[in-house]
Amino acid sequence: MNLTLPRFFWSEYRKRRKKVSLITFALFWGTLSTLLLMAFGQGLSIQFRVAFSGLGETLIMVYGGQTSLEFEGLSKGRPVFLYPEDIDFLKDRIPEILRIAPESYGFYQVSANGKEINRTVHGTTAEFAVMRTQIPQLGGRFLNADDVAAGRKVAFIGWKVAADLFSDADPIGQKIIINRIPFTVIGVLKKKIQDSMYQGPDADQIYLPFYAYRQIDNRRRLNQIHIQPREAAQSKLIEARIRTLLGRKYRFDEADRYALSFWNTIENAKEGMAIFKGIELFLAIIGVLTLLIGAVGVTNLMYALAKERTKEIGIKLAIGAKRRIIIQQFLLETLFVFAKGTFWGFITAFNVVHLIRLAPINYDSFGIEAYLLRPEFSLRIFFAYLTILSLLVFASGIFPALRASRSNPIESLRYE
Amino acid sequence: MIELRGITKIYRTGSQSLEALRGVSLNIKRGEFISIMGPSGSGKSTLMNIIGCLDTPTAGEYVLDGDRVAGLTFDQLAAVRNRKIGFVFQNFNLLPYATTWENIELPLLFDGRNAKKRKSRIGELLNAVGLYDWRDHRPSELSGGQQQRVALARALANDPPILLADEPTGNLDSKSGEEIMGILSELWKSGRTIVMVTHNDRIASFSQRIILLLDGKVQD
Repeated sequence: MNLTLPRFFWSEYRKRRKKVSLITFALFWGTLSTLLLMAFGQGLSIQFRVAFSGLGETLIMVYGGQTSLEFEGLSKGRPVFLYPEDIDFLKDRIPEILRIAPESYGFYQVSANGKEINRTVHGTTAEFAVMRTQIPQLGGRFLNADDVAAGRKVAFIGWKVAADLFSDADPIGQKIIINRIPFTVIGVLKKKIQDSMYQGPDADQIYLPFYAYRQIDNRRRLNQIHIQPREAAQSKLIEARIRTLLGRKYRFDEADRYALSFWNTIENAKEGMAIFKGIELFLAIIGVLTLLIGAVGVTNLMYALAKERTKEIGIKLAIGAKRRIIIQQFLLETLFVFAKGTFWGFITAFNVVHLIRLAPINYDSFGIEAYLLRPEFSLRIFFAYLTILSLLVFASGIFPALRASRSNPIESLRYE
Repeated sequence: MIELRGITKIYRTGSQSLEALRGVSLNIKRGEFISIMGPSGSGKSTLMNIIGCLDTPTAGEYVLDGDRVAGLTFDQLAAVRNRKIGFVFQNFNLLPYATTWENIELPLLFDGRNAKKRKSRIGELLNAVGLYDWRDHRPSELSGGQQQRVALARALANDPPILLADEPTGNLDSKSGEEIMGILSELWKSGRTIVMVTHNDRIASFSQRIILLLDGKVQD
């Protein structure tokens, strides 16, 4: 490849680079603002997903209700309760269920270390951990199958409960008293962001093995059942099967919408993600429009520069420059400006994103910063941006280049 | 070498038209030194531009070195200007941001010469016009005479058989003008065809033949 001409264009560009500094800055600014916009959009979307999975991923929660339809001679208005045996009943009959866990809870006085607090205490099984994103901090663990089967008096506590009862001391192995019964702390919940909850954020909750919990709360009925389908797409089918099976068992019409109620996070997530994808798309459109405005500016400046170089083009044509040389020179100069502006814009955006990500999120007062302080910079975004920008820059460079190459040498030579 | 038959050039601006050349016929043989003279507006520069393939005639036929110019494309004309014709302008027309060396290098670059050939040719030309020590200077750092010598070196870069000089001494003091004419005479003596436009009788006296233009026509 003969690089003589590109080298010559480069040396000419170097002499003129102060004149094109405005274009370089425009491209730098456009790159910086568009990449930041897109990084914040993607960060927002990701944080939403993270916050949503704080409650649990692909999770269906089933609650008992009250019948609203008469059924087989039974009146409406009857309460429907869920019981521990419904867990095996449903799991045995619905193969689409991957995991299932019961949950009962109540509000109790909890004391330890000379301190007393009132918190919601839950009874559940080991499967609950995976379904409800109960990840323990280092050195601890969640309830396991043996804890549940043996009704061990152990507890898994939220990080705020740990802070309230034990301050900075390690709670693992410490005793907490619930309803006058001592439980040993075996794990503390790792900090997480959580935008959906019942009975408050998980940071404030205490979890006991299901049969141990029954010692402080002797009600047989459950508050709710947690279900994770094998595939997210099966969630509506599972809902229908549960209505049918429990309808037969507890004698209510499977079409009765109030006999049971469901919190289907899969369906909610779909809606949420659609909204955030919409926001992401909206920000991307703003970015592209910003770029378009920038491209118009760059084209304008390139035209002005081409005009300013009329005489130079005339001289070059007079001494034998072919059209393609003039076009190549303009396009390569545009490329040099583009590469410089984009490179520094990319580096700056990358560092700004990195710096913002260093800011800590306050998990205890979960707010807007949890969404905004985690912009996500991905190569996918950069290459998408680069592709769009390359097209725009090519378009903004080619027209002035073509016009310059079609100059009349005599008129150009006369231009002052 | 240069044959013009019935060359007419009409400039049209809106409804107005101006006939700059009216049926000019001219024969310039290889190795001739011709001066084109005439008052302002007589069509000298237009004729020069047509001979230099910078412009095309409205009517008539131009044959350069056996080739009909009318049939050539924009890029073919560029190649002719690059290899067969060297230009020397009254106002030098050097690239202001380029050094002496780079200005002379341009036609060689456009001809696709490699670095080694360019370097040796530029060195040769700089020595010939006595500006080797000024090779890294920009035009603004040179005198008018020096700038015109750079322009001459650039015109000769690809060793063209024809040299077109449009008022080459018009912007120079008399001493520099004499120097330039001295170089042009030497070039003519070495076999180059030279066509020069001038107002100045003394400058014209360096040439073999004078062609007088009046109102776009050659005067006998």
